[in-house]
Amino acid sequence: MAAGPYNYSYIFKYIIIGDMGVGKSCLLHQFTEKKFMADCPHTIGVEFGTRIIEVSGQKIKLQIWDTAGQERFRAVTRSYYRGAAGALMVYDITRRSTYNHLSSWLTDARNLTNPNTVIFLIGNKSDLEAQRDVTYEEAKQFADENECSAKTGDNVEDAFLDTAKKIYQNIQDGSLDLNAAESGVQHKPATPRNPLNTDQTPSKEGCAC
Amino acid sequence: MFLVSNTGFLNAHLLPGGCLKRESHLSNGFKGSVVAWLSLADSRGIFINRDGNVPVEKLRQREMKWLDMFENWEKWMSKRFKKVKERCRKGIPPSLRSRAWQYLCGSKFLMDHNTGRYEEYLRQKGDPRWIEDIKKDLHRQFPLHEMFQARGGTGTHAYTIHNPHEGYCQAQGPIAAVLLMHMPAEQAFWCLVSICEKYLPGYYSPGLEAVQLDGDVLFGLLKRSSPSIYKHLKKQRVEPMLYMTEWFMCIFSRTLPWTSVLRVWDMFFCEGVKVLFRIAIVIVRIGLPDSSVLAQCPSMYETIDKLRHIPSHLLEEGFLSTESLRLNITERDMEKEHQKQVQKRKAEREAKSKGPKKTKNKIKS
Repeated sequence: MAAGPYNYSYIFKYIIIGDMGVGKSCLLHQFTEKKFMADCPHTIGVEFGTRIIEVSGQKIKLQIWDTAGQERFRAVTRSYYRGAAGALMVYDITRRSTYNHLSSWLTDARNLTNPNTVIFLIGNKSDLEAQRDVTYEEAKQFADENECSAKTGDNVEDAFLDTAKKIYQNIQDGSLDLNAAESGVQHKPATPRNPLNTDQTPSKEGCAC
Repeated sequence: MFLVSNTGFLNAHLLPGGCLKRESHLSNGFKGSVVAWLSLADSRGIFINRDGNVPVEKLRQREMKWLDMFENWEKWMSKRFKKVKERCRKGIPPSLRSRAWQYLCGSKFLMDHNTGRYEEYLRQKGDPRWIEDIKKDLHRQFPLHEMFQARGGTGTHAYTIHNPHEGYCQAQGPIAAVLLMHMPAEQAFWCLVSICEKYLPGYYSPGLEAVQLDGDVLFGLLKRSSPSIYKHLKKQRVEPMLYMTEWFMCIFSRTLPWTSVLRVWDMFFCEGVKVLFRIAIVIVRIGLPDSSVLAQCPSMYETIDKLRHIPSHLLEEGFLSTESLRLNITERDMEKEHQKQVQKRKAEREAKSKGPKKTKNKIKS
């Protein structure tokens, strides 16, 4: 599968948060597998997914933490925010209560990540237009948001990619310090090392190419 | 030769089938043994119990032994518990599993002494918070059969009324599912009560304190049983909650192949939470067997991936239970580690509560 140990130049850590049943795991599955999974089993604790994407010619590996949405898991999932470069905050456009809870999710995201963490709002289930309970305009006011459908795959790519673009931009303009602890971004050498020389351990990459 | 599954009850209800029709779900990466087990239904919808490689003759012998134990259950439990434990470790015969579980966990006693209570719970409305959560989970917990949906809802619903403080925890769903595959709803309910209150108290309460504590205990036991793995996990900050939450909270029902789930539950109902620690240590050791595998895991992601995606042929029931009993960890070690972690948490809490007080005083002065 992978051509070498480092077929990407950066790793970004993402976290997906939001109420139970809004479709967090389905979004992740849609993004990593490009398939809609009906009846996603609910997440107990945390699940992980990865995918390599390309932003401005740079290969970036997204490491995505998908968290349990039920309130009682929050004491545990709060510890997973640390070091996230991007946070996808998800609500269900057909259930207002999930939208109303966003401020509490946002508080957690702000308090538990670093100031440069890119927070993206996602209104999921846009394929269920007839049952819509939260208007796009209303949510737009709340934040720069992206409506998508994990079912049809509409805009799911964009939600993950736009977040990555913003993070990458922050790296480029220097507002995100790669050397800072818990920036949520790791820089890896872009070219694979000699595969025969297995002893070589990855050095901490400080310089920008 | 095959044995038709344990409860006549299940066969009767599931015969009209529908399970196979929806098998497309199965190949869809759907998680969990519960589903894998449903796929064992044959073309007539009859559940075939492929319970390991136990020869039929042996199985008949074991059934006789268990029937004998049921006759004098109290005596066996008080005077010959060691033998009961041994028989649970070998695996309970599938035809008697449902009854054995209910005897072992005391749910039969609970049910017999609470006649009518379950129906009463069902008549009550319940806290709308929990009811809504349960509703949302039904289609994903019991996706394969309408009957499971209806009954799964009632079992967890009744529990929220039985224990309103605890309410509904999502991790109870998979447990209810396994129970419902073995027994009628009322019996499954009392089994659930027993698991949540007696075997794993506090596991499903808000905050998950008890699970976190057991995560620390597991980590402590790994230090003792598998120091190199422990060092690796510690170095990469792979906290126990990252891999053990679902294992413990769902009693491995979403982790292991179905036949292994049953064997683990057989032992769990007899010996309790200790079984979960033993199995967890074995799984960690299977996932990270040696230094060459550890070397393949340069960061926590690869490590967690190894722990969470163990090929199911490595988790086969015979191997798993044998390995879990061969560990160099005694019950006393577990109790000691538990005490140690309880003390540690207590000290941390005290230090925390002392902290703010000091600053308060400072502000006052």
